[in-house]
Amino acid sequence: MTYPILAAGYYWHLPILIVVISLVYSATRHDDWSIIGVEAYRWGMRMLSFLGMIGIFLYIVTLIK
Amino acid sequence: MSFTPDSILPETIPQPELANKFGIVGAVLSYLVPGLGQICQGRIGKGLLFFFCINGLFYYGMALGQWSNVYLPRAKSQPQMKIIPGVPAMPNCISYRLQYVGQFWIGISAWPAIYQFYYYDEEEDPPGDPTVGKYQRTPLETELNLLQSRSDRAWDLGWVYTVIAGVLNIMVIYDALAGPVLLIQLKPKAS
Repeated sequence: MTYPILAAGYYWHLPILIVVISLVYSATRHDDWSIIGVEAYRWGMRMLSFLGMIGIFLYIVTLIK
Repeated sequence: MSFTPDSILPETIPQPELANKFGIVGAVLSYLVPGLGQICQGRIGKGLLFFFCINGLFYYGMALGQWSNVYLPRAKSQPQMKIIPGVPAMPNCISYRLQYVGQFWIGISAWPAIYQFYYYDEEEDPPGDPTVGKYQRTPLETELNLLQSRSDRAWDLGWVYTVIAGVLNIMVIYDALAGPVLLIQLKPKAS
C-alpha cells in the first residue's frame, strides 16, 4: 500500500525547516543552552502537531466523497 | 518532568558586561553575516548556531530552486502594479519580485542579486559577469517557465525557504541589537 503523502517528494524537505525554525526562534529568546534545547523541542513538537492535524484533516476530506 | 514558563527571574537577565555589548554594531554584523554579531559579542555558540542554521536554510532553498530563485528583476517593459489602491506603486523590481524583500535580510548572501540588477538587463540576455557569472541574475522568461513546469514544486518550495531564512535573520539581528527577547526562566513543574 502506498501513501500519496509519502510519495510526494517535497514533504521530505520539511524536517530541515522545522528544525531550523525551532532552534533559531528559541535561541533568539534565551541565552541558556538547556532552555534553548527544551524550547526548540517544544516548538518543533507544536509545529509538527499543527501540520499533522492539517494533514489528517485533509486526508479525511479526501476520504469523504 | 515538564517545564513551564514561570516568572522573569534575575538570573536570566544577561550579565551587565554582556548587555553592554548589545548594540548597533552587533546588529549590522548579524545582518551582513547571520550570527557574526553574536560571535563578536562573545556568544560564540549561539552565533555559530545562527550562522549554520540560517545560511544552511538559505542555500538549501536556493539549491531546491536550481540556484535561480534569488534575483531582482528590472521588469522595465512590464506595467507598474498598484498593489494597494490609493498607495503609489512600488518600483517594478520590488512589485514583480516581492520575495526579495524577505530574502534581502539574509545579508551579503543576497547582494549579488542587487549587483546583477544594477549592471545587467535580463531582457537583453547579456553574457555572464566576469566575477559572479549569472549567479542571482534574473532568469529569462523561458528558463523560468521550464523550471516551474519541469520541477516537482521544489522550485516554489525553494524560494519559500530562502524567504523564511531572511525573515529569521531579522530576529537574529534583534538578538544582537538588544539581547534575547523573552528572558523567562523555565522551571520544572512540581508533579
